[in-house]
Amino acid sequence: MRHSRIILSIAITLLCGLSLGAQNMSDLLIGEVLVENTCGIVDGYGQRNGWIELFNTSNGTVKFGGCYLSDDKSNLKKYHIPTSDRSAQLGPRQSVVFYTSGNSLQGTFYTNFKLRNGSTLYLVSNDGRTIIDQVEIPADLPADQSVVRIPVGVKEMEFKTQVNPNPTPGSYNGNVDAKTKSQVMKEQDPHGLVLTLIAVMVVFSALLILSFIFGWIGNYNKRDKVKAPKPKKVKKGEMDDEVVAAISLALSREFGSEVYAAIALALDDYLVGGIHDLESMIITIKPTPGSEWADKTQNFRQLPR
Amino acid sequence: MSNIIENLKQFWFFTGFANATWQNLAMILIGILFITIAIKKGWEPLLLVPIGFGMIIGNIPMFPGLNIGVYEDGSVLNTLYQGVKQGWYPPLIFLGIGAMTDFSALISQPRLLLIGAAAQTGIFGAYLLALLLGFDPNQAGAIGIIGGADGPTAIFLSSKLAPDLMGAIAVSAYSYMALVPVIQRPIMLALTTKKERLIKMPVPRTVSQREKIVFPIVGFLLTAFIVPSGLPLLGMLFFGNLLKESGVTRRLAETARGPLIDVVTTLIGLTVGASTQADKFLTGNSLKIFLLGLLSFVIATTVGVLFVKFWNLFLKGDRKINPLIGNAGVSAVPDSARVSEVVGREFDPGNHLLMHAMGPNVAGVIGSAVAAGILLGFLG
Repeated sequence: MRHSRIILSIAITLLCGLSLGAQNMSDLLIGEVLVENTCGIVDGYGQRNGWIELFNTSNGTVKFGGCYLSDDKSNLKKYHIPTSDRSAQLGPRQSVVFYTSGNSLQGTFYTNFKLRNGSTLYLVSNDGRTIIDQVEIPADLPADQSVVRIPVGVKEMEFKTQVNPNPTPGSYNGNVDAKTKSQVMKEQDPHGLVLTLIAVMVVFSALLILSFIFGWIGNYNKRDKVKAPKPKKVKKGEMDDEVVAAISLALSREFGSEVYAAIALALDDYLVGGIHDLESMIITIKPTPGSEWADKTQNFRQLPR
Repeated sequence: MSNIIENLKQFWFFTGFANATWQNLAMILIGILFITIAIKKGWEPLLLVPIGFGMIIGNIPMFPGLNIGVYEDGSVLNTLYQGVKQGWYPPLIFLGIGAMTDFSALISQPRLLLIGAAAQTGIFGAYLLALLLGFDPNQAGAIGIIGGADGPTAIFLSSKLAPDLMGAIAVSAYSYMALVPVIQRPIMLALTTKKERLIKMPVPRTVSQREKIVFPIVGFLLTAFIVPSGLPLLGMLFFGNLLKESGVTRRLAETARGPLIDVVTTLIGLTVGASTQADKFLTGNSLKIFLLGLLSFVIATTVGVLFVKFWNLFLKGDRKINPLIGNAGVSAVPDSARVSEVVGREFDPGNHLLMHAMGPNVAGVIGSAVAAGILLGFLG
């Protein structure tokens, strides 16, 4: 029974741990790809090239320096994003555009290959082997149309791929006009009654469950309750070993206020029978007010010279 | 000579006298009032003194652009204010609260948790009223949390939902927390009969160390799984409590409930006070917030007491609960529990309700953190 409880606890802990995710390169995604650009965005050299948009799906900053872009599975290290470039990082839910000019000497954000219809684009981790993400470009992708990954679902952490006739390089691919939660609530629950009802129910449920759990734990503990030791039978005028040891320890050494605590405990042990506070393992000693700067004990030397 | 006069004129424009407005002076007077109340009456001095002095600092009239104001990027006050704005002071305070709170009263009588839940109605009552007064849902949620009677929670939530209203909300929350004895006593007396006030509750059982250690872990797992958005507050509260109860991290617990909470309380009070610059604080909205804050305390106390009375209809013998502990569900640790004790002893000097009232009192802390998480989840 005891072992099964330990295993259950470990399982729950592991289960909780599975849902934890770190912000790293695996959070990157190829957000949008355009192969043939005839009337779209112009790069820094006044050219119209194809482009690749990378998107950070996480809510933390991700550095992508050292990653690779490639359109050839047999050569995943085709274009190496310079590690030294400090701008090679993406803020939460932000995107960056790489121009596929075929000339990487133009800068960090210009790849050394040009995109082709029918190929597959790979985003590769800095180990040069692990494929973080890939996108298949249709063979019949029209000019000035892109392959886009649109965030879907409540969390907007899942993505569907589709051809986009209106490319949006560097912009969020989801609904940019989405309303805030507050605006949605204002429309759906103008008087606040639904939210109030749900919130009150949740607060009550959470505390009710906690109440049940601790009611149960309390009952369980009552069975295992530690019984206070019975007062020891000591003849009048006789001291047992513990009492003697405590009093002699207290009187023989300088302990400051702990002396009084030790004497009190010893007397309690002797007179009452040693029923100690079960709640705490700490002896409560009321500190002396002030700094004790004038206390005689402050002037004593431990060893006489 | 004319050059000297010109320079003196220039200097004059930089002085507070040249830039003073009646609003600044009004806020400085309010700051002095806060300090006076704290010193003379002893009401929440650890908060009202820093807030009051912060109000004075924040309302010294000055020439804009000197990079010294709380709202000017990079200034010292602005840097300290980031702890409020980004919401990391409140969880640190919760860490200290956890490390100083003894949940034994709650663990020994877990049914009292429900009183803490009932008193959170004040939050949602104020939310509904704020919507009626024309506030947006996010603003209404931030205002409603005043009813949680928990300063750090109010600052945390308002910094996320309605940063513009944070100064008024924080000052309102702390002011009414200081006024808990004044607000709650008449409501408690009005809603209870003499017979009810004399109900004696049995002495709570002794709680084992094992239970005390299990409580923060189970409490955190349960509440955080139900309301993950309350994670910063709940996580720190229960973590602090685990430091206290584990028995092996005494130094950490002492730091959390001592120097750390003192430092953060000083900074949060001072910067919240400084954020109440007259042009942002003296508005019609602030007056509404103060009114709603008062009503939220009234609703929370009323519902807490009535909930116990209703519950008593189903309880028999010594299971009955003294309704004078109903007010303690509104957090404000430990003031509201102290009110239960004081009012209880007025009618029976031998009836000590403090230990019983601490149960709903700390349940209120958990309940308000859960409620804040829900509001953040829906409106954030």
